[in-house]
Amino acid sequence: MADILPLRFRMLHYISTVEKTSVDQIMKALEPEYGLEKQFKKEVLMEHFLDMKANLIIEDNDVVFDDKGELLIYYSINDEGRRLLEKYLPKRWNQPSFL
Amino acid sequence: MKRAGDQTAFLMKEKLNANFARKGIFTGLFSGCTWGLNSVLLGMALSLVPVMGGKAAIFAIPLAAACMNDFIAGLWLLFYNGGAGRLKEITRSLKTFPGLMVVIAALLGGPIANGGYLLGISMAGPAYALTITALYPIVGAILSRIFLKRHILPRVWVGMLISVIGAIVISYVPPEGGNGETFYIGLLFASLAALGWGAEAVLAVFGMSMIDPKIAINIRELTSGLFLAIFILPFVGGWAVISHVVTQPGAIGAFAICGLAGAVSYLAWYKANSTVGVAKGMALNGTYVMWGVIFSVILLSQPLTQNLVIGSLLVLMGTTLVAINPKQFFSKVGRHNHG
Repeated sequence: MADILPLRFRMLHYISTVEKTSVDQIMKALEPEYGLEKQFKKEVLMEHFLDMKANLIIEDNDVVFDDKGELLIYYSINDEGRRLLEKYLPKRWNQPSFL
Repeated sequence: MKRAGDQTAFLMKEKLNANFARKGIFTGLFSGCTWGLNSVLLGMALSLVPVMGGKAAIFAIPLAAACMNDFIAGLWLLFYNGGAGRLKEITRSLKTFPGLMVVIAALLGGPIANGGYLLGISMAGPAYALTITALYPIVGAILSRIFLKRHILPRVWVGMLISVIGAIVISYVPPEGGNGETFYIGLLFASLAALGWGAEAVLAVFGMSMIDPKIAINIRELTSGLFLAIFILPFVGGWAVISHVVTQPGAIGAFAICGLAGAVSYLAWYKANSTVGVAKGMALNGTYVMWGVIFSVILLSQPLTQNLVIGSLLVLMGTTLVAINPKQFFSKVGRHNHG
């Protein structure tokens, strides 16, 4: 697996492939790639979300309480996030099999 | 715009973002405090190195110190990231464009800016050189406005200006008068330092949109330390200084502690820059001038001068203005503001 992206980069890429995602959903989706790594924790991924939001490349406009009454934030990519991906995502990752 | 009907959930999310931004402000202040401590500790560590005269005193010692400081900080960060299971992220990041931008940021902020700073001081004198280099937060803010298209609030500009004036007051030393042609070259070198540090922050923040700040700073410290060791030190006699240090266990220990303070400080600075933006992050980090002198008073029993008191008050006023919108900071649910 020589071509694994840095986790934050991969998260941004994943967000671009779905309409919106929560931290639990993205963990499920990226588990096959990063699941065995010690850094793959909910609080670490949440920190990446908050940082990317602060860097104005993702949005957090969709927010609800789940069945257990916990806050559920959905993140979606914005134009600036897409622009960065188009420009800097390694070419191999643009192929449809990775989408 | 998709907004859930549940207003309470929305407000809770806004609170989460506001808390995150507030944490970023404190992280930025912490980076300034630990950087001030690092500067003072570095001075103490250098006093353990045997006296070396001539050329060594001007370039070799400060550059060797910068090299050891960055490289040892890089090693501490390797332990930190290794413990958190993030080591693989370093090579992954270096294979991407944003990761390479962090390497360039490291070269601008490490060898180029540090080199310019030292040459500026020796050629133009500390009075002028320190005043010019103190402007780096403003340079960073301007560059982030241009290249990252970040809107910077008038309140933040004013705060930054006040704290830069404070930093200049603190580091003020009576000018010795302009001396010939090297004086103007020295001013150019000092400007290069301010530009280098400003550009470093902007490039690093760009890279950190896509890579982890904790990894970015590890790359930065190792790149800067290795570059200085391989490409700069051999030409200024810096390795002679390092060979003196490694023969003295006390000095090695002192540099290891400095490196730790440097690692913590840079880690906090990169994290703050990524969370609250370059303008605020740099202004908060800029408080190191004040912290540095406070630590010298405490640790080295240096006298508390009038300049220090007035300058520190200005730095505090300025950074408070940069960091805090009073309305938002004290309201229970502040809106996350990206000044």
